[in-house]
Amino acid sequence: MTALIDPEAPILVQGITGRAGRSHARNMRAYGSRIVAGVSPREDEVDGTPVFRTTAEAVRNTGARAAVAIVPPLSVLETVKDSAEAGLELVVTLAEGVPVHDAVRARQIAQAAGIRWIGASTPGLAIPGRIKLGFLPSVSLAPGDLGVMAKSGTLSYEVCHRLVRAGLGQSLWVGVGGDAVKGTRFAEVAPIFEADPDTRAMVVIGEIGGDEEEELARMILERGLRKPVYALIAGSAAREGVTMGHAGALIHGDVGTVASKQTALQKAGAQVFSRIADLVSAVAAEAPRPPAFC
Amino acid sequence: MMLLEHDAKELLGDLGLPVPAGVLLTEGSAVGPFEHPVVVKAQAPVGGRGKAGGIRLARTEAERQAALKAILGMTIKGYRVGAVRLERPVDFVAEAYLSLTIDAASATVRVLMSPSGGIDVEDETARSALRSETARLDPADLMRAVERASANMPQGFRAPLREAGLRLVSAFLEYEATLLEVNPLFICPDGSWVIGDAKLIADDNAFQRSPLVRARIEAQPALYSQAALKIEQDYDFVRLDEFGDVGLVTTGAGLSMQLIDELAARGRRPYNFCDIRTGMFRGNPGRLIQVLRWIAAGPNIKVVLINFFAGLSDLGEIARLLLIALKETPELKAPIVARLIGNNLEEALAIIAADGFPIAVETDLEHAIQLVLQKATP
Repeated sequence: MTALIDPEAPILVQGITGRAGRSHARNMRAYGSRIVAGVSPREDEVDGTPVFRTTAEAVRNTGARAAVAIVPPLSVLETVKDSAEAGLELVVTLAEGVPVHDAVRARQIAQAAGIRWIGASTPGLAIPGRIKLGFLPSVSLAPGDLGVMAKSGTLSYEVCHRLVRAGLGQSLWVGVGGDAVKGTRFAEVAPIFEADPDTRAMVVIGEIGGDEEEELARMILERGLRKPVYALIAGSAAREGVTMGHAGALIHGDVGTVASKQTALQKAGAQVFSRIADLVSAVAAEAPRPPAFC
Repeated sequence: MMLLEHDAKELLGDLGLPVPAGVLLTEGSAVGPFEHPVVVKAQAPVGGRGKAGGIRLARTEAERQAALKAILGMTIKGYRVGAVRLERPVDFVAEAYLSLTIDAASATVRVLMSPSGGIDVEDETARSALRSETARLDPADLMRAVERASANMPQGFRAPLREAGLRLVSAFLEYEATLLEVNPLFICPDGSWVIGDAKLIADDNAFQRSPLVRARIEAQPALYSQAALKIEQDYDFVRLDEFGDVGLVTTGAGLSMQLIDELAARGRRPYNFCDIRTGMFRGNPGRLIQVLRWIAAGPNIKVVLINFFAGLSDLGEIARLLLIALKETPELKAPIVARLIGNNLEEALAIIAADGFPIAVETDLEHAIQLVLQKATP
């Protein structure tokens, strides 16, 4: 168990009656997540799960402690606000395309209320074999002792898939998302991994843009974090002024470059890689047990 | 996305902020009559245009022609200049600095103000005069931050920077900017102020709520090809290297970026970045056909790498659409390497094998990259 999410926690799903909402809810339950309620203006039940009109009502009736929001991007701010007011501990939002000004306001609300917000746009988080909030792919999930945090969904799928093939699974995997402004940043996840007895080392999957990797490096040094950190930073070939898919992946002047992130993390004692294969080999080589290759 | 200076200034002008009169001139368009002198400014979404020779003062017709010839088509930080802004020079006594930026970590807005702007804003003296204030993303709080910062400006700067700051707060909120920087902010002999240069990073995700910004992008699809595509089609394709030798049909921004890095590190020249979003195909091969056509237009394409890690999407469906798209683009002659992994892989492999279309299919990314390298170096 980690400080981020109790794998036994009752979960509610906002936007459960939509096409994506239904299928994500079904997949999460099949993975073992305790889905106890849905929230939607329509319908009273989805696949046997009771659906309530508001998040607050769902919490009152079911004791849900965390939420997964499958709502449109322009509804994310309102959903984070509702989740905070309903007293939830955690809300994970999956929508792509949340406006930055909404994200700033949602982060202010979350911080003031003490609710943990993962998003704006993320494939979610998982404790493999126990709980999945979102849609991290099963082909990349396996129980293990790596704490994974990633800005990119697909790049983390690839890296974790290869780590899993090398016998290296995850204690907890958190997709923080590729937004410029987000609910939970690398530097906020690292202390959770550091304190988690099931996590031996951290895998950081970063990319150009912003200063999250640099902030993580400062935090590692200031707090004296001891666990090994393996980092991969994508975007060496990106040009200034060109957004590389993710809204946050934008180099501006010398802010957000791969070089800046590599240097900062290396100074903090992290091993930084530019090739996936090199990261996988290094993690495998330093794993306590010889990994079972397959 | 960063707007070109011309559009940033026009957007600020739309809200009544003082900007020098100017017009945009795109490559190949006719040059109208102009009064001289005129400043010819390269339009590229990067800093350091002046240092790169992209900004020139022209006092005569001949100087203007020479400046246009030198600047249009030049490359600044890998960005080809396709337009210039022709602008009336401003008579000023001082250059100040003003910016508003989102600070992602604290979820606040930082207001920076300095009486010493221009290109020297990054040096030591300018930095010491810089006043930094923090505010919540809220009009009243932002205005208070501007008041605090301007109260600490020297005599002669206080009033214009206060007024400019308050006006920029409105623009920052109206356009949902993540950065709005005016450097230099000209202080004129009569104490008024004019925006000398403006950087506006607008939020791609807020276009629906910012019709003026959206209209600027839609008016110049050639200058904003990526943003225009995203507005119209909701996916990303960026041509990185006109003479690139590897075309990429990929999904996922991070993995696509990483693939470009991995290929570049092995001496290849990736032609494009692509996040095609397989999850949004909805049974339609249109996106695939469009992307394959763009790649086929590359003069130096030696191989195409397709990489789909399907977390949720159905690879069987994707394989069917891919075969349709490849047959629709016979102009694409380069060999195809497809790396497929994830949901319903077996069906995808069977569909491709049964069809017989020449695609080298791999499930391991390193193997696929090796194959790309072999095919790119005959």
